[in-house]
This record gives sequence, structure tokens and C-alpha cells, in this order.
Amino acid sequence: MMNKKIGTPNGRNKNTGKKDKPVDNISYRLKCAKTANGLSHFVMYGDVPEDKTLL
Amino acid sequence: MKKKTRGLHFWKNNGDDILLDADNLFWALGRRTGETGTFIPKRTLELYAKFKEALDEEIEDLRFGQELTAIYIDPTDKCNAACQYCYIPDDIKQRGASLGKNELDLILKKIAAHFRLEKRKQVIIFHAAEPLLVKDLLFEAISRYKNTFKFGIQTNGLLLEKEDVGFLIKNRVGIGISLDSASRDTNNRLRPSASDAFKKVSQVLEWFNGYAGLNVITTITKHNVNQLPGMVEYLHSKKVPCVLMNPVRLTQVKARALKPDEPAMTRSFIKAVDRAMELSKKTKHKLIIGNFTNTVLSIIAPAARRLMCDISPCGGGRCFFTVTATGDIVPCGEFIGIKGFTAGNIFKTSISQAMSSKPFKKIRERTVEKIKECADCKLRNMCGAPCPAELHSMGNMYQRSVFCEFYKSVIMHAFKMIKENKIGYLLRAASLENLKYRYNLCAER
Repeated sequence: MMNKKIGTPNGRNKNTGKKDKPVDNISYRLKCAKTANGLSHFVMYGDVPEDKTLL
Repeated sequence: MKKKTRGLHFWKNNGDDILLDADNLFWALGRRTGETGTFIPKRTLELYAKFKEALDEEIEDLRFGQELTAIYIDPTDKCNAACQYCYIPDDIKQRGASLGKNELDLILKKIAAHFRLEKRKQVIIFHAAEPLLVKDLLFEAISRYKNTFKFGIQTNGLLLEKEDVGFLIKNRVGIGISLDSASRDTNNRLRPSASDAFKKVSQVLEWFNGYAGLNVITTITKHNVNQLPGMVEYLHSKKVPCVLMNPVRLTQVKARALKPDEPAMTRSFIKAVDRAMELSKKTKHKLIIGNFTNTVLSIIAPAARRLMCDISPCGGGRCFFTVTATGDIVPCGEFIGIKGFTAGNIFKTSISQAMSSKPFKKIRERTVEKIKECADCKLRNMCGAPCPAELHSMGNMYQRSVFCEFYKSVIMHAFKMIKENKIGYLLRAASLENLKYRYNLCAER
């Protein structure tokens, strides 16, 4: 699952509990760990998550 | 394929340096340490060398794979709103054809048969003109085929009743609703045939009450171009989870009179993105501007992109196609009424035949590398130079996008958001959980 250090707000150092400082050099690439309906993760037409549908 | 600028590009954006391979979308952001400082640390180049081949393959698959992921069905030519920017020609709407129950059933059976060996459910989207004018037909099909397909509907919302909303939520149907402004006057001005579209849609959004499958589509024209941040506030207050703010397509001549001022659109769109992030940060409800999120994904997770207009070649005739109310098969709804782009008729033509047809190949062959203005642009594979139908109707599909400068500015803003570590406000929480690193420079220190 996605590392909290980059790409999510309020990333905190595991050891100190302090907020991570911005890094000077960034480079990363992400891929889908699990896909919705065999497509991407992004909820759009036709791939409403079954376990989170509000009824 | 002619590639003029293969390799790493290097330029500045808001004081940061950006390194990018325009072909496989490897990127790095950094801050120069001085006039003579070196931006590209050794470990960045090592990372590039290590993953270059894998990224080349990833982008090759994304761009040139032909896996169908959705089929659009236009069940009727009729409409009850007459939006000024509609992409369907007036003569086709006046024709007023609609699919009958047996015809729709035949189409769905044909699609199901084509995908019978697929494990996942194929996505069927009922689209324009106004599909809910044949609501009973659609709901009956959804009930009958809900275990075979996943469904979506794009609608102006005027005919939705409370019990319909319950049906759509119960059956997990994705729903896109057109709404162009938080101003009643502006919105209704664009839909002269509807009595008070704003009031009705406002009610419908409340019925959906934050449903995860709800999207709003806001078409940006000269009438609402400066109202996008206000629209974000309005939609956030209605618990809408996702909005697409799309520049009007100029495919139809009459839509060209609605073209927004491009610099004004850029300013307003970026303000809307920033406002959505502020609201998502301050409150429990997160509103995603889907096309901006898709741009961010084009940088950080290209294979996770969901929208198909900004990939080159686009998704038309490759990842999806449209079946019209008379059964004609076209690469995308934007091609309805444009001569030379019909791949057959669903009642006579197999899906495989349509996919291998000349009109579909013509769209699949339209790549950014073949467009003079794009071939040297480092952002070409993030914007994709949309849209071939629009540009064809304006004389030649091998020209730069109508809103080229807008797309460039939006991509630059996406880089800025990545640098500022704001990704968490731009993607849904569930989406973040479903992403994992292929590599991370920070983790490799």
C-alpha cells in the first residue's frame, strides 16, 4: 500500500512522530495494487465500489 | 513513428527544476542549489537507468493496447434540454430515433457474447442525447443484465425522480449529471428547452446524498468560465464526490460561439482546483476534480489514468466505442454525424470487425508524434492533444489542441501540487490505498 511519506498529507516520521520535512528531490512512480473492475482505481462510470455503496 | 526528442528534458517551473522523459514519463522534481548547482543527482540518473525499460513498456501498453474497457450506447437521439454546446448535430436529434426493447436486448447480448471469456464485467454507459427519455427501457435492461455488466448513465437529470435515484444506487449504477453553474441564470441559459434545470438538478443531487458513483460534468464555456471556484463550493455543499470540468468541444459549429477565453479558463480552473483542495482539507467531505486528478495521475501513475481523451492515441475506437440509436458504431460520441468514421452497424457488424475497421484504425494511428506542434513538446504524453473529432471538424486532426496552452498550464500546476505534497487531497482515499510504489527516490536513499 502507498507509503505515507510522499503523496499523502500529514506524513509523519515513524520514529519521531514529527511531520516529514519537504524533500528537495522527488521522483516516484505508482501503480494500481488492486483495481476496480479490472480497470483503474478511479471511481467513474460503472465501477462503484460494492462495499462502499451508500444505500 | 518519428520521435524527435527522445530522452530527458529539463526545465524550470515556479523555481523548481523538472526532469522528464516525454516518452516514458519518468520524472524528477528538484531545487537547484545555486547558479552552477547540479540538479540531476547521480541516484536520480541511476533510478532512470534502472526503470527506463520497464517504463517504456508500461507507456507502450497504455498507449497502444486495444483492450475495450467500456461501450457507450446512445439509446435515443431525442433530448429535452437543447444545450447550446451539444455535440450531436441538430439534424440527428430531430431525426429522433430510439432503440426498442428487442434492439437494446440484441445489442447487450452481442456485447455479452463478445466478452464471454472475460472475468471482469464490461462497462456499459447510456449516453446522449438524453437517455432517460427512454428510462423504462434502460432500467429494465439494467435489472436484467446487472450480473453481466456494470452500468453508467450520463444525463441532464431532468427526468430523475426520487425512486429512480434509489434504483440507481441499489444497482450501483455510475451516474453523471450535467450542471454548468451554481448560478441558476447561467445554467438555465445554456439549456433553453428545460424550464428550470438548475432547480431540478439541485434536488437530484440532494437525493443522491454523496453517493460514491455520482459525478457532475461541468462544460466550460464563455458563460461560466469565471464561475468554476463557485461551482466547486456549491458541489461540495451538495456532497458531490467528483466533478469533471471540461472545456467545451468545438466539434459543432454552433459550439464555437461559446468558446471560453483560454487564459481566463486557466485561471478559473486552477482556482477551482485549489478551492476544492481547501474544502477537502477543512471538512470531512472530499471533492475531486476528476480531470485534474487524471492529469496528476498522468505524472505519478500513468497506467492508473481513467479518462481516455488525454492519452495519445485517445481511447476512441481503442478502449471504447459508441453505438448510436440507429446501431451505427463510431469511435466516440464526438464522431456522430461526421462522415467517414462509422465502423459498421451493431446489427450487422461484429465487434471484432468494428475494432479492425479502417475508421477505428485511423483514430488509433493519430499520435502526438505525428502532430508538428506536439512532436517537440515535452508534455505531449500527458495532454494527448485532444480531440481528434473536434480538430477534424475544424479542418485537420493533425494539429495542436484547441486549448493547448490550458493543458500545459494545468500540467504545470499538477507538478506544483506533487512538489507541495498535496496528492492526498486530489485522490479519493480508497484510490490512495490502492496505489503502490513501483519506485520511490526517497526510499532508495
